[in-house]
Amino acid sequence: MGRASFAYDFPHRNLLSAGSLNPLDVQMLFERAGEHFERNREPNKKLDALKGLTQINLFFEPSTRTLASFELAGKRLGADVVNFSAGNASTKKGESLADTAETLAAMNPDLLVVRHQSAGAAAFFADVTGISTINAGDGAHEHPSQALLDVFTLSRHWGEIGGRRIAIVGDIAHSRVARSNVSLMNLLNAEVRLCGPATLLPPDADRWGATVFHDLDAALEDCDAVMTLRLQRERMSGGLIPSEREYAALYGLTHKRLEAAKPDCLVMHPGPMNRGVEIHPALADDPDRSVILEQVESGVAIRMAILEMVASRAPNMRYEDDR
Amino acid sequence: MSRFLITGAKIADPASDREYEADLRIADGLIAEIGDGLAAGEGEEEIEAKGRILCPALVDLRATACEPGPGAPERLDTTARAAAAGGIGTLVLAPESGHGLARPEDIELVEARALTLPVRVHAGGLAAHDGEMAEIGLMLRAGALYVGDGGRPIADSRLVRRILSYAGGFEAWVSLRPEDAHLAAGTVAHESDMSVRMGLATRPGVSERLAAERDAGLVELTGGRLILDRVTTAEGLIALRAAKRRGLEIAATAPVTHLMFNEIDAGNFDARYRLEPPLRSQEDREALIEAVREGLIDAVVSDHVPVSRVDKANPFADALPGSSNLEALLPALVSLVEEGRLSLLQALRPVTSGPADLLGLPQGRIEEGAPADLLILDPAAPVVHGRTGTVSQGSSAFSGRRLFGKVLMSFVEGAIILQPET
Repeated sequence: MGRASFAYDFPHRNLLSAGSLNPLDVQMLFERAGEHFERNREPNKKLDALKGLTQINLFFEPSTRTLASFELAGKRLGADVVNFSAGNASTKKGESLADTAETLAAMNPDLLVVRHQSAGAAAFFADVTGISTINAGDGAHEHPSQALLDVFTLSRHWGEIGGRRIAIVGDIAHSRVARSNVSLMNLLNAEVRLCGPATLLPPDADRWGATVFHDLDAALEDCDAVMTLRLQRERMSGGLIPSEREYAALYGLTHKRLEAAKPDCLVMHPGPMNRGVEIHPALADDPDRSVILEQVESGVAIRMAILEMVASRAPNMRYEDDR
Repeated sequence: MSRFLITGAKIADPASDREYEADLRIADGLIAEIGDGLAAGEGEEEIEAKGRILCPALVDLRATACEPGPGAPERLDTTARAAAAGGIGTLVLAPESGHGLARPEDIELVEARALTLPVRVHAGGLAAHDGEMAEIGLMLRAGALYVGDGGRPIADSRLVRRILSYAGGFEAWVSLRPEDAHLAAGTVAHESDMSVRMGLATRPGVSERLAAERDAGLVELTGGRLILDRVTTAEGLIALRAAKRRGLEIAATAPVTHLMFNEIDAGNFDARYRLEPPLRSQEDREALIEAVREGLIDAVVSDHVPVSRVDKANPFADALPGSSNLEALLPALVSLVEEGRLSLLQALRPVTSGPADLLGLPQGRIEEGAPADLLILDPAAPVVHGRTGTVSQGSSAFSGRRLFGKVLMSFVEGAIILQPET
C-alpha cells in the first residue's frame, strides 16, 4: 500500500493545539484512525504511507506511553523514527532552544514530535525550523493528540459525542490534557464539567466553556463519562491540597461515587495512574466501566492518523504521483 | 564652553506646567536666558527651531546595564549611547545592574565611569544583600541616588522595616518592587483567562496590591520614604492612591512597556514580550495611563533590560525577561500624545520634572539657571522602532512598532550630544 490519499484536504502543516482543528478535521482523523485501529489488531500492521520520511521524536520531558505510542505509530507507517530524549541537555550546555532546533533542522527530518516542559515550545520549534511539528505536550498548555485519542475512544462507544456530558476531575490547573480536551469537546458540542479543589482549578475556568464544580458527587450527576487526571505528588508539597488521604477521600473515583453518574458511564484516565489516590484500583480495572487500556490502544491509531495527515501537508512531502 | 541660542521653538516645560514660544540661550552649561526676540551674541551659535518642541532632556530612573561585572550583552558605554539616542539626559542605573550594585565601591565605579559618558549616569544601590542590610549609608555617600530591592521583592517584612527605618535616617528613598514574593514565585505571566489557557505559570494582580499595602504600612511605622518601583496593575494603583491619601511619603514609577502593551501582545508566546513584571490586562493598562494623566505616577521609567537575542531564543517561559527600551521611551510617550491619551506636558512630566523633583535633581526643567539638559523634538514625525537600527543590541518589545516623535537634537550640560543626520 502506498501513500494515503485523502478525500479531504487536511489543512494543517502542524498539530500544535486541539483548538486549531475544525469538526471536519476531527471527523477525517477519526475515520482514518478507525481503519488503523482495526488493522492494528491484525498480525500484519505495517504500512508504507510514510516510507522514506524521517520522524524525530524530540522529548525534553520524560515520557513512556506517549513516546512509545508515537514511535509505534511512525514505524507502523514506515517512517524512519529517531527518538531524541534531550532532557534539556543541550540547553544546559548553554545552547538556546533555537540553536537546538536549527541543529535538528539541518538533519532534514520531515516530522518533529515535540514534548517540552514549557508552554509554547512545540510552536517555537515549528516557527524556527519550518518543519511539520506535532505537539506531544508543551508544559501545562496543550496535548492535542491525547485529547484526540480520548474523544476517539468515546466516539467508538457512542458514535457522536455531541450532547454527551463529560466530567474531568483533578488537577485541571496544571493539566495540558484538560485544556486540550475542553477545546476538543467544546468543538464537538459535548457538555464539559471540570471538578477539583479550588487550588487545582484555574481562575476563570468557567469561561473555558465548562461548568466548574468543587463537589465530585454533584459533578458526576448524570455524566456519560468521567476522566480523572493524575494527581502529581509534587503538587502536595506546594500546599495545594492538605494530604493525599484527603484528596482520595474527596476526589478519588470509586464505584460508589459513580452511582451518581449514568449507569453506563465510562471511566477514563490519561495515565499513568496513582491507584488508590485519584482512582480506586477496582474501578480502574473494571472492564465494564474503564476504557483506560482502550485509550492506550486508540493512542497508536490516532497518532498514525495524525502523522499521516500532517505529513500530507509537510513541506518536504513528495507524493508518489509527483515523482 | 559652547554657547547656543535656540530660536522660535515651542517650549514645553512640565515643571512650570507651561507651553509657550520663546528663544532660549545656553551658556556655561546652563539655561542662561529665556525670552522673546533674543539676538545671538558673539561666538554664539544660533539654532533655528521654529515649529519644533524644546523640552527638558529625559530623566530615566530605571535602566540596567551589564556593568560592573561580566559584560554581555551591553556594556555601560553602549547603554549610555542608547540613552543619548533616546533623548535621555540623566540615566539612573537600577541596583541590580551588572553583578548588583551592593557596595559603595560599585557606586564609585559607576560614578567614575560616568565621567566619560555622553549622558549623566547615576546609580541606585541594593538595600539588602544575602538577606542582610547592605551598606546603605556608605553607598549614599558614594553617590547612590536611592537604595532598593533591585526588582527582587523582599519577603521578610522585618528586613523591609529595618531598611525603611535605616534609610529614612538619611532621608533616602527606598525603592521596592510591589510584589508578594510568594505569590509571584516561579511565575512568568499575569493571571488571566488567557494566560491560564496558555498554560503559563501566573501571578494575580492583587500580588502587587498586597505588597504595596504591606510596604505602605511599614512606611507608616518607620517614617521612611518609599518608591513603589514599577506599578503595573489597577490593584497596585488602589494601594498607591490610598497611601498617598494618607499623606505618607510614597512615590511610584511605571514602566513604559506597560503603558504601551498588554498581555495580548505576549499571547502568541512571543518571548520579546516576556517582561518582569509581566504584561497586564488592557484594563490595567488603561488604569496606568489614567494614573499618569492625573499625576499619580511620579516617574515613567524605561525599565531598559538588555537581553541578548540568544537568551530570547527560547520558549516564552524559558526566555530571559527584559526588553531594550531606552530608545523607545520618548517615542512611546509621544505616541500616547498623538493618540490623544495624554497631553504633551502630561507625557513629559513623568520623564522630566517628575523624577527630577523626586530625587532633588536640578535638571528636568526649563528655567534660567537650570542645567541645559534639553531636547529639540519633532513630535509628529512617525518612526518605526528599530528600522534604521538601534544602539542597544538587546531584544526590544518595541521592534517594528510604529511610534511618533523624533529627537532632532539634544544637549546635556549645554553640550550637543545628539544631532542625527537629516
